[in-house]
Amino acid sequence: MSDRSEADRLRQESTLQRLLRRPEIGAFSVMVVIVVALAFASDFKAFNPLGLKNNIAIIAQYGIIATGAAALMIAGEFDLSIGSMIGFTGMIMAMVLKYGFTPLGIPPGLPVAAFMIAMTAALCLGWLIGTIVVRSGLSSFIVSLAFLFFLRGATEASFRIINQSTQISGLPDFKQESWFAEMLGGEVFGWIYDIWFTLGGNLNRKGEQWVSGFDARFLWWLVIAGAAWFVLSRTQIGNWIYATGDDKDAARANGVPVNKVKIGLFMFTAFCACMFAACQVFDTNTADAAKGNLLELFAIAIAVVGGTLMTGGFGSILGVAFGAITVGLVANAVFFIPWIDGSWFRVFVGTILLAAVFANERIRKRITGGI
Amino acid sequence: MAVPYLKVENLVKKFGPFTALNGVNLAVYPGEVHALLGDNGAGKSTLIKTLAGVHRPTSGQLYIEGKPVNFRSPRDATAAGIGTVYQDLALNQLMSVTRNFFMGRELKGPLGILRMAEMDRIAHDEMAKIGINFSDPTQAVGTMSGGQRQTLAIARAIYFGAKVLILDEPTSALGQKQQMEVLKTIQRVKKRGDIAIIFITHNEIHSQLVGDRFTFLALGEVIGAGKAGELSHDEIRRLMAGGTEMKDLAGELAAI
Ligand SMILES: Nc1ncnc2c1ncn2[C@@H]1O[C@H](COP(=O)(O)OP(=O)(O)OP(=O)(O)O)[C@@H](O)[C@H]1O
Ligand SMILES: [Mg+2]
Repeated sequence: MSDRSEADRLRQESTLQRLLRRPEIGAFSVMVVIVVALAFASDFKAFNPLGLKNNIAIIAQYGIIATGAAALMIAGEFDLSIGSMIGFTGMIMAMVLKYGFTPLGIPPGLPVAAFMIAMTAALCLGWLIGTIVVRSGLSSFIVSLAFLFFLRGATEASFRIINQSTQISGLPDFKQESWFAEMLGGEVFGWIYDIWFTLGGNLNRKGEQWVSGFDARFLWWLVIAGAAWFVLSRTQIGNWIYATGDDKDAARANGVPVNKVKIGLFMFTAFCACMFAACQVFDTNTADAAKGNLLELFAIAIAVVGGTLMTGGFGSILGVAFGAITVGLVANAVFFIPWIDGSWFRVFVGTILLAAVFANERIRKRITGGI
Repeated sequence: MAVPYLKVENLVKKFGPFTALNGVNLAVYPGEVHALLGDNGAGKSTLIKTLAGVHRPTSGQLYIEGKPVNFRSPRDATAAGIGTVYQDLALNQLMSVTRNFFMGRELKGPLGILRMAEMDRIAHDEMAKIGINFSDPTQAVGTMSGGQRQTLAIARAIYFGAKVLILDEPTSALGQKQQMEVLKTIQRVKKRGDIAIIFITHNEIHSQLVGDRFTFLALGEVIGAGKAGELSHDEIRRLMAGGTEMKDLAGELAAI
C-alpha cells in the first residue's frame, strides 16, 4: 500500500482509447454517417465531380464563418452580427466596384481597393463590438444582437440611397483581368480534377473534361481553419484564448491580457465574415442586402456540433470542420435526393445541435470532475 | 537582527467610508512561516491583496528589503517577488496542468509557438520538488484533488521567483489527509530557507504546526503578535477569536 504512488493510479491507454476520448469524436462519427448515407441515398451523385464541387462550396462557406464563431466561443463570447457583417461588407465591395469611392479618389472597378475598404470596415466594426463588450461588461449576446440589426438596416438603407435597389448585379467579371479577384472568386485545386480526368473520370456527355476546379473559398477555408487550429493548439495566444474562456479572472490574475484577446477575436469573426462576402462577390459578381441572413446562427450551431462549449474554454477547430462538412452536406442534400423536402434540413440541424449540446456537457463534466 | 524581506508600516485601507485595515504593521522573514490569523472579516484577505498589488493602500508604506515600494498592479508585486496563492487559486479548470503552470508566462519559440515538451518537463519537476509526483502533465486541473491544486499553485509561484509566498486559507477546503499534504508542502518550502511564507488560516493547530511568527487581526487592527514559543496555546486561541476568552464564549453558548 505505502509504496503506491500517485503515478500508479493512471491507467495506460492505447492509441485507440485516446482517439475515442478526443473531443472531436462525436462530430467525426456524425460526419461519417452523413457522408455514407448521402452517398447511397443520392446514388453517389453527391460525390460525382460536380456534386463534390457544389458540396465543398457550401461546406467552405459554413466552415469559414464557423471557425471565427468557434474561436470566439472558446474565449467565452458570441457574435450574432456575423450574418449582417456578410451583407454589409458584400455591399461595400460591390458598391466600390460599381461606383468607386470618391473620398479616397478610388475609381470604379478596382477589386483590391474594394476588398481593402470592406476589410478595413469589418475590422473596425469587430474592434468596436469587442471594445463595447469588454468595456461595458454587457453580454456579447446583446451587444452583437444590436449590431445584427444595425448593420442589416444600414446595408439596406445605403443600398437604396446610393443604388436605388437592394441588389447589385451585372458587374463585369473581374476575374478575367484581376488576379486578386480570381484568387477570391475563381477556382483552385484544378489539378485534382485534371488527374480525375486523366484517370478516365470527370467526363461530361461529350466526353470532354467536365469540372475544372473547386471554388476558391475551399482554399480560404483550409487556410483560415488551418491557421486557427495552429494558433489555438500550438501558440501562446491559443493558450490565452482558452484561458480567457475558461475562467477570465484566473487568466487575468496570471497576467493574460483578457480584453485584448476578446477584442482580437471579435475582429477575427468580422474578418471571417468579410472573407465569406469577398468570395461570394467575386464569384458571382453580384451583391444583395439580404446576403448572410441567419448565417450567424448556423455558425454558432456548427461550432457547437463541432464540440465547442457554450460556456467557453473548450473546443476544437478540427471538430468544427467536421461539423461544417456535416451541416453543409445536409444543406445540399435536397439537390441530390429529389424526393426529400428541403425543410428537413433544419429539423436535422436542430436535432444534432441538441444532441451535441448534451454530448458537450458530458465532456465538460468529465473534465471538471462532475459539477 | 535580520532584515525582513517584506515590511508593512501603518497600513490603512478604506473602502469608501468603511475602514478595512486601520494601521497594520507586519514583518516577514526568509525561511519563516508567518501565520496571519483572525476572525471572518478581520481584514486578512484585504491585507494580502494590498501586498499583492490588487488594492492600493489608502495610507502607510510597504518595504522590500528595507526599500520603500509602491505597487500599481499585481504585475508590480510579482516582479518584486510577491507570489500570491489566492483562496480560489486562479486556476483554469478545463486546461492542463502545464498550461496552468505557465499561464501568462508561457515559454515560446518563433511565431509564439509553445515549447510544450519543455514546459511539461518543468511543471512535472517543479511539482515533484515540493511533494507531488503527478503522472500526466496534460491532465485537466478540474480533475485534480484540492491538495494537488494547491501544490500546483504554490509550485508555480515559487518557480516564477516568489520570495514571499502568500497562502490564503490553503487548507480550508480540504480533507484531513490533503491538509497534511499542504502543510508538508509549506514545510518543504520553508526548509529551502530563502522564501518567506505568509500563511492565513482559521485552524489553530495548523498555524502552530508550521508557524514561526504570529500576527492576529481583529476588526482591521493588529491585536497581538509574537514568535512561536512566546505565546501560549490559550493566548493564541483567545487572540484568534478576536480577543474574547473561550470561557466567555462557552458562557454565551450556554445562555442560548
Ligand atoms: N472591495 C471591497 N469593498 C468594500 N468592502 C470590502 C471589500 N473587500 C473587503 N471588504 C470588507 O472588508 C472587511 C474585511 O474583509 P476580508 O475579506 O479582508 O476579511 P478576511 O479576514 O479575509 O475574512 P475571512 O476569514 O472570512 O476570509 C469585510 O468586512 C469586508 O466586507
Ligand atoms: Mg479571506
